[in-house]
Amino acid sequence: MWRGNKMNQPMGTNWIGLYTMMRREAQRMARIPIQAFVAPWISALLFIFIFGFVVGGRISQIGGHKYLEFVLPGILMMNIINAAFLQASTAVYFSRFIKFVEEMLVAPLSYVEMIIGSVSVVVVRATVTGIGILLMGMAFGATQIVSWPLFIFWVVSVSTVFGFLGIIIGLWSKSFEQLNMPVVFFLTPLSMVGGVFNTTAMLPDWLRWLAWANPFFYFINGIRGAMIGFDETPPGLGIGFTLVLLAVLGVWVWRLYSKGYGLRE
Amino acid sequence: MTPALSISHLRKVYRSGTVAVEDVSLHIPEGEFFGFLGPNGAGKSTTIHCITGVAEPTSGKIEIFGIDAVKNYREARRLVGLCPQEFNVDPFATPRQIVDWMGGYFGMNAKQRKERIDYLIERFDLIPHQKKQFRELSGGLKRRVVLARALVNDPKLIILDEPTAGVDVELRRVLWRYLTEINKDGRTILLTSHYLEEVERLCRHVAIVNKGRIVREGTKDEIAGGPGGLENAYLIATGAEPDHVAGQ
Repeated sequence: MWRGNKMNQPMGTNWIGLYTMMRREAQRMARIPIQAFVAPWISALLFIFIFGFVVGGRISQIGGHKYLEFVLPGILMMNIINAAFLQASTAVYFSRFIKFVEEMLVAPLSYVEMIIGSVSVVVVRATVTGIGILLMGMAFGATQIVSWPLFIFWVVSVSTVFGFLGIIIGLWSKSFEQLNMPVVFFLTPLSMVGGVFNTTAMLPDWLRWLAWANPFFYFINGIRGAMIGFDETPPGLGIGFTLVLLAVLGVWVWRLYSKGYGLRE
Repeated sequence: MTPALSISHLRKVYRSGTVAVEDVSLHIPEGEFFGFLGPNGAGKSTTIHCITGVAEPTSGKIEIFGIDAVKNYREARRLVGLCPQEFNVDPFATPRQIVDWMGGYFGMNAKQRKERIDYLIERFDLIPHQKKQFRELSGGLKRRVVLARALVNDPKLIILDEPTAGVDVELRRVLWRYLTEINKDGRTILLTSHYLEEVERLCRHVAIVNKGRIVREGTKDEIAGGPGGLENAYLIATGAEPDHVAGQ
């Protein structure tokens, strides 16, 4: 018989609780497979068709690569960003809206465990989405992986960055309208102008600074470097920037949890 | 002996500026069946939320079996089970999943969870409904699920916030029997209810809260012993209109 009342024993990491959070979100994700996976895969397939067979043939090579090879890493990264952000923001907002977030608040879970539990599922969803697109690209002979460690770094770190951002927005939002605002006004525009379809060299001089100031440029450029070896930034710049962003957002999310922002009354 | 629950000068002011709890102090010994009464908006649920971590106390101290519920919140929460007033449940999940996830959050392994869930599902007559979605269940069945969830970790302190609101007589009786049984087994129970006969039947000690303060506290016999019983004592303590109070 279960006796959960071991008094005065300090708790270590609640591994089962952490695993339960992941299991629960995975079960929720399994209820929406079309939204979670099929939609981004179909959208990527359409991009491959248009840029591979319709537009691609009319555009000369970029950096020694076919246009589809150049574009595909960006499409993959855009979908990873969307998947990560939507998973984190909707999971947090929905749990607040229905109030079942209280199940976690009354349980012996630390803030760090709650954050890791949320973000790990984000990484899983984004990775599955990314691998699906990668396999499609490989099936059409449109991509390769030059560096697996770098590819894994970019998938995991960028999905974690947008997982953190999704959590912040999920905690801040007071309506579904607010929840969608960042996607409409920031995520989609910044990723579109973040170098998915063009190099910075293709931009007029006066516009180049805008590309360099766009954080999405470093994510797209980074994964493109890992996939086809085409990298427009000095070595280490994108990785350094992403690691700093991860640290800042990680601390920010931890502060919000420990203050109970959007969670506790 | 360390009390099961000790609250000293609890105060809770919401961000909106509303003072929900002005000054509440309570000391509930281990094994007690404690009734926590008060009108709507008196501060009962807010006090419970502060005990369980759903709300952050503005000031004051809360200890659960001597463990600080704010500083050592993880250790303290291991000992508590909460059945809230509202259905704070994923409506698309099944009763079995809901109880199972809660057991997981409390660190119970798969074997322990299965054993405990099988027992609770049977005890609360949920076997035919265990694979339905929560949103498909009737109000009474939903209440059973939330109760089973509160008890999955076999807590030493059980907090029930109006657990029988909107449930049928049969479930009320099942629940009374079960609560009496686990209380005899040593579990401490804090119960809020608007059904005074329920409190009279189950509780040995009662506190009445009004406008965020404890206005009367004592054994059930002390409080309900006067003319008009517990209802009269409750109405007087909460400042009800004189013509509502028996004998006036």
